[in-house]
Amino acid sequence: MKVILKAYRVLEFFCRAGVFIAFMVLIIAVLTQVLGRAVGDSPVWTEELTRFALIYMTALGVGLGLMSGDLVNVDIVCDALPGPWPRILNVAASLATAFLATILLPGAWKYVQIGFLQKSPAMALQMSFVHFSVFLLFLLLLVFAVMRAVLTLLHVDISHLKQEA
Amino acid sequence: MEVFVLFAVFIGALVIGIPVAIALGLSSLSYLLVSGIPLVVVPQKVYAGIDVFVLLSIPGFILAGNLMNNGGITERIIRFANALVGWVRGGLGLTNIGASMLFGGITGTAVADAASIGGVMIPGMKKAGYPADFSAAVTAASSTVGPIIPPSVPMIIVGALSGISVGQMFMAGAVPGLLMGLAMMITCYVIARRNNFPREPWRGTSELVRAFASAFWAIAMTGIIIYGLLSGIATPTENAVVASVYAFVVGAFVYRELPLKKVPKIIADSAVSAASILALVGLANVFGWILVSERIPQAIAGTVLSITDNPILVVLIINLLLLFVGMFMETIAALIILFVPLLSLAQAVGIEPLHFATFAVLNLMIGLTTPPVGVCLFVCAGIARLPLSPVVRAILPFLLSNIIVLLLVSFIPALATWLPNLVFG
Repeated sequence: MKVILKAYRVLEFFCRAGVFIAFMVLIIAVLTQVLGRAVGDSPVWTEELTRFALIYMTALGVGLGLMSGDLVNVDIVCDALPGPWPRILNVAASLATAFLATILLPGAWKYVQIGFLQKSPAMALQMSFVHFSVFLLFLLLLVFAVMRAVLTLLHVDISHLKQEA
Repeated sequence: MEVFVLFAVFIGALVIGIPVAIALGLSSLSYLLVSGIPLVVVPQKVYAGIDVFVLLSIPGFILAGNLMNNGGITERIIRFANALVGWVRGGLGLTNIGASMLFGGITGTAVADAASIGGVMIPGMKKAGYPADFSAAVTAASSTVGPIIPPSVPMIIVGALSGISVGQMFMAGAVPGLLMGLAMMITCYVIARRNNFPREPWRGTSELVRAFASAFWAIAMTGIIIYGLLSGIATPTENAVVASVYAFVVGAFVYRELPLKKVPKIIADSAVSAASILALVGLANVFGWILVSERIPQAIAGTVLSITDNPILVVLIINLLLLFVGMFMETIAALIILFVPLLSLAQAVGIEPLHFATFAVLNLMIGLTTPPVGVCLFVCAGIARLPLSPVVRAILPFLLSNIIVLLLVSFIPALATWLPNLVFG
């Protein structure tokens, strides 16, 4: 169990650092845009960079949202059930999430490959890099969903992890 | 058959507690598998759903609200609201509502409002002799004005779905938000008179001025956001980021209550909240695309119009449907799924998109305080340490007043459209 918890902490640390960096890039790009306009013309790349930062922020944050409960669910039926059922359904929900992400990963990789043929207009960035964000989104969703299922099975209180996060 | 699979999987997934975003993804996946459509369409639609210009403002507004919230504004806003209306009978209830209205001008979500104001006001009201259920109910009910008064996360999402400018949406919410606040204050006052709830002493004009001065920098953020939108000098995204920087400066250097050490955590937490909303928007975009390609909006409009084409009845049907769905489903998901289908129906009977969007958002906000799934209700009952049922009973008069405002906004379009028309022409 210690190994899984440690792996979770490491992954959580990197994802939180990632969303922080993506958000800071977004903020700095927008401020550059505002200040640029105040003194003359805004650089053309700021709007594009802002959009890419937002998509990466979403990709890196979705797994954390699954763990923290920010990715909301309707738990009224689940919580009303007796005995071990809430926990069983919790595991089932995590596994269903992992299943969705697994099935969608090949399509998401194909989407990355499509991006090799295009470049973004302002930054001339290969779009495969941008499309990779969707692949990353499903990959992290898969990893966090599996961890959530395992931690629930091991009777680790996920709400405790949420508070620490 | 394919459409049946889509809805059956979606409802089944929701019932067993799968997150709404994932339920949307699973149901869309089932539809695509049954229909034999290549799955590469999913990442394309998820990307296209998130890559919408106005959605860029969501993380900024969430961060601005969280920075303000951690920067000592709650007590200042409550102090100002208390100096303003606390001396009336049921004064702390009125203070609670007034504070929610002021807070609503800073944050764009109701849950943040319920948690922040509730954390201070519910224990305070209990201590002053107010019943715990009433204290929780008034906090939950008043928190729903948060996303009506600008800025508003649901209104940004409506802007992304409909193409209506976010500035117009924000302005359209201003009058209904004030009306909701006023209606709840009247309800609170009537209940307070009947139950002889206490009142706070009038502390004089000097306290009112001091309290206003203390809360000024927090309240000014609403002014900055509105000025930015109305003047056209900044896009909603730029506005949101400037508001975040402003909130940081006020919290850290003016009020000096925002610990700098805590800022990275606040930024990361805000990013995770925004990411969860945007993932929901992205996966809902796949679901929405399927609905449109199956011509579900037209089918809904056709079915309702075959029963009646009377605009009054159609508005009532739309409101009943939204109220029903809002009782069970998370607001933003309900908005994303139902907005486009119901917009087709509304437009078929001559309702302006801006007017429809306003009463749809208002309606779904009421759903935040209705059982069985009312997030603000849960938050406030939790703070008051009460089971849900007494809080549900106590909130009924406020629900009624909110529904009356909803009907007024639904049947008097000018309440939603007058201000945006005046400002934007």
